[in-house]
Amino acid sequence: MRVLLLVAHPSPASFIHAAANAATVALRSSGHHVDVIDLYAIGYRAWMSAEERHAYHSDDPIADPTVAEHVALLGQADALVFCYPTWWSTLPAILKAWLERTMVPGVGFVFNANGKVRPGLTHVKQLIGISTYGSKWLYVKAINDNGRRTLQRTLRMSTGLTTRTAWLPFYAVDSSTPQQRRAFLDRITKRMAAL
Amino acid sequence: MRTLVVYAHPVDDSFIAAARDRAILGLRSAGHEVRLTDLYADGFEPALPLDEWSNHLADPTTKPAVAGYIDDLRWAESLVLVYPTWWGGQPAMLKGWLDRVWIKGVAWDLKPGSARISPRLTNIRRLTAITSHGSSKAVNMVQGESGKRVLTRSIGFACNRFRRTTWCALYGIDAATDADRATFLDRVQRVTSKR
Repeated sequence: MRVLLLVAHPSPASFIHAAANAATVALRSSGHHVDVIDLYAIGYRAWMSAEERHAYHSDDPIADPTVAEHVALLGQADALVFCYPTWWSTLPAILKAWLERTMVPGVGFVFNANGKVRPGLTHVKQLIGISTYGSKWLYVKAINDNGRRTLQRTLRMSTGLTTRTAWLPFYAVDSSTPQQRRAFLDRITKRMAAL
Repeated sequence: MRTLVVYAHPVDDSFIAAARDRAILGLRSAGHEVRLTDLYADGFEPALPLDEWSNHLADPTTKPAVAGYIDDLRWAESLVLVYPTWWGGQPAMLKGWLDRVWIKGVAWDLKPGSARISPRLTNIRRLTAITSHGSSKAVNMVQGESGKRVLTRSIGFACNRFRRTTWCALYGIDAATDADRATFLDRVQRVTSKR
């Protein structure tokens, strides 16, 4: 399988990077091909530009070479893995920007002959989220897990309902013990090996 | 009321820019004092930088890059967000403003000995979102209305507990007629001209 893994955290020493690394190693050792996009490491621009917005409804909505590169990787991907810290109940800005800039018409969705929106990522068979939360489980449920909604519901409309999803959350990260962190990395390894 | 309008759209002649202008017109007509933040015009960097992440519990005075935005938030009694809904939620530009400005000592506090954060922007008693959705209300409900929940629950949590929240959204803008758009702009002005 070809897997596209996105990681969004400013610190290369973060627990999120450790999680992304565990996922990558486990996937590769199972024989999968993994492309990794580390958004902070490549200095990804975290906003849609006026030029991109103008191009959005044109015949050629991809106005940036980095985006074109990511669209090519996305086109080959059978699975998408998102690794990020949940901030303000949803995706960090840089990852939200990746959705906005990459999932343009013709990529994330297509218009059919009647002008209706149809899924553009039907080749993606698995959507996986790996996220850390400052809050505990109960609190995340109360406030709402908007990052998870964005990926499992909004993005899933682009992949189609036959796409399988998996969610690997790590709650209350600030008060977690080294044992809990290790156990979470083991859980990622097991889940990715079973993909 | 002292009203902070935060606007995020890359294109100056967009429909959302027109909504911003009508909102300001409405607010001034009701005698509200208005400060406008235009994140794109400011060249605001939405990706939380490494040093701000590393020092995320430090005093806000150690973050001069966002001092002006902090001052505006503390000044405001009413907050009006004007933005397009993309991928179910706030654009990365606006999400980055949350990630970088709504920090400890500004939006929330962690009292010594407590594991739970407490709201700090109790000066904000009115919250308004003015936004447009490409897709219909039905599609947004299936997707889970992440952006609305970020406003009412996550942003709302940090504000005054007796706040009044107004959700002013145009659904299905991709299929909207000129008359629909004009009606919405009238609604924007009506909603913002409340005393």
